[in-house]
Amino acid sequence: MFPQTPSAVNKVKQLLEEKPDHLGLKVGVRTRGCNGLSYYLEYVKSKGVSDEEVVQDGVRVFIEKKAQLTLLGTEMDYVEDKLSSEFVFNNPNIKGTCGCGESFNI
Amino acid sequence: MSAVRLLCSLVRPGQSRTLLSSWIAGDRPLRCASNTVADGEIYLAESCVRRLQEVTSGPEFLRLQVDSGGCSGFQYKFTLDTNMTEEDRAFGVDGAHVVVDLDSLQLVKGSTIEFCEELIRSSFQLTQNPQAEHGCSCGSSFSIKL
Repeated sequence: MFPQTPSAVNKVKQLLEEKPDHLGLKVGVRTRGCNGLSYYLEYVKSKGVSDEEVVQDGVRVFIEKKAQLTLLGTEMDYVEDKLSSEFVFNNPNIKGTCGCGESFNI
Repeated sequence: MSAVRLLCSLVRPGQSRTLLSSWIAGDRPLRCASNTVADGEIYLAESCVRRLQEVTSGPEFLRLQVDSGGCSGFQYKFTLDTNMTEEDRAFGVDGAHVVVDLDSLQLVKGSTIEFCEELIRSSFQLTQNPQAEHGCSCGSSFSIKL
């Protein structure tokens, strides 16, 4: 469940090393954007009651309950170039995305 | 406050706080010299200048183009480039240049370019476009005021 590419794992690791008082990163989904849904990331200090915990290479990521369904079969990647850097969710269930790829519907 | 910015502050509470605090701290966009002021100006926020000084070297600059596309009709496109033509206008300070072609400039003049950093993504964004009616949530697409 919820595989992450090596570049994503490294980035999350790096982000968490900068914030040693936090337990992991949490992936959530909120209603926004022209295609309905959009992911967000935040630092968390503890596991939420209904969060799913995914540990890969010692890096802890929590998935918010609402996001669990939308993330089924999704791989998280991190891409970086000079102009931008972002976490990308490669989701096979997505029916449509926004022009910029930030929002989607299922 | 443009719709894009308003939307930005509504849906990105974390980011808007940083933006707000940087406004308060006096991080006003730098007024940049243009070849021909009459063609319109583009302002570079301090975050944009800082990022460009980090990632560009020599004759390299950030090119801003407006393309048709996106869910609101037009979208902003940022690329790194080294070739400037007569149809281009340059803005910026030492080591941080933004170039916009005249056609695109008509649609973005008076705007500010920022480098927005969030946990999930960091990218150049155009904000406060006086020509934009409303935009997409990600801020990359917009429609113009008629």
